[in-house]
Amino acid sequence: MSRLPVVRLARQFSSSATRALATPVGQKPVLNKEFKIYRWNPDEPAKKPTLQSYTIDLNQTGPMVLDALIKIKNEVDPTLTFRRSCREGICGSCAMNIDGQNTLACLCRIDRNAGKDSKIYPLPHMYVVKDLVPDLTQFYKQYKSIKPYLQNPNPPADGKEFLQSPEDRKKLDGMYECILCACCSTSCPSYWWNQDEYLGPATLMQAYRWIADSRDSHTAERKEVLQNEMSLFRCHTIFNCSRTCPKGLNPAQAIQRIKLELAAE
Amino acid sequence: MASLLATSRHALARRSPIFAKSLVSARFATTQSDALYVPGGPIYKGTVNDPTDFPTPSRMHGSHHWSFERLLSASLIPLTGAAFATSPSVHPVLDGLLGVSLIVHSHMGFDAMLVDYLHPRKFPVLGHVATWTLRSATVGVLVGVYQFNTNDIGLTELITKVWSA
Repeated sequence: MSRLPVVRLARQFSSSATRALATPVGQKPVLNKEFKIYRWNPDEPAKKPTLQSYTIDLNQTGPMVLDALIKIKNEVDPTLTFRRSCREGICGSCAMNIDGQNTLACLCRIDRNAGKDSKIYPLPHMYVVKDLVPDLTQFYKQYKSIKPYLQNPNPPADGKEFLQSPEDRKKLDGMYECILCACCSTSCPSYWWNQDEYLGPATLMQAYRWIADSRDSHTAERKEVLQNEMSLFRCHTIFNCSRTCPKGLNPAQAIQRIKLELAAE
Repeated sequence: MASLLATSRHALARRSPIFAKSLVSARFATTQSDALYVPGGPIYKGTVNDPTDFPTPSRMHGSHHWSFERLLSASLIPLTGAAFATSPSVHPVLDGLLGVSLIVHSHMGFDAMLVDYLHPRKFPVLGHVATWTLRSATVGVLVGVYQFNTNDIGLTELITKVWSA
């Protein structure tokens, strides 16, 4: 809104020079794009899920897919249901499958190619609560099972905080940033077939985040629970998790480190 | 004034038994429809606030299995080369070793597929049938390869012959 007129003008030139010249400054040309969005309503359980089509003007919308969804919900169809909160990629609420890739709607730019529609589905292979809202209960139950908190019965003598060397702290980089949006777990075929037993990349990376933490004293117990066929070793290094992570983290690497540490025991 | 009236009316309505009843019935309906459209849906062990549990720890199914699988795969490469280098020999030890390793390797590979796709917890009949079919097939192939290696030309020589044929 507060963009300089020069920038606005430059943008018009980049899309269509002749039309931009004919348009008065301050008025953008219409750039309609079609969004096909997965709809399913629990109040009509007999009705099959459908793709509903919405067309909006990209020049009247923010740059991200979440902006488009909010615009559709505000102006076109208030029954469209999705989770969103922070709109800046730190809460993990708006995780969904956009054009075949699990990502956060708030971090995903709208493809400005108006000729191609954009398809939006909920996270794959999860039970759907409504429209784009998946049921993440199992995901959270699994996260809880790895005890994602510091376990150390011997607090430091001065009663203050657990100290850690900068090198030890560095081991947690790339893991503590995870926001548990479930993009990686729901992109993993092993998680699709065996999510009742296999923990999935997000939970396993958090398991390793606590195994690698020098302040935690329950490392052996944390490793011991993973010593079975299903919880960890259903990872077949497919790497969908690292490819899809909207935060640019590498869950596959963390899983391989757990495997190596278990093998070296 | 009007807004105050509206608010108090709203507050009254909230306390009225009619409203309370409709709330209860709405809730009941939600639970009922939940039960209606979730058959075959998620069946959680315990409440939603309970963590999932882990199977009994077993290194044979965990890290030992994984390490053995990787070591076997890696050692198959030099073993194959060595078996072919010493192929037409009087004591075909490497030939036999290659035969056994290949069979164990493929058994573990197929077994991983069965665990992924036909686990007995999901397929109580088919899962067990598949597992035992695989086991008997592996034993059968072991016997066959042993017979072939002792009474006939052996694995590596067969491949060499087919290759140059």
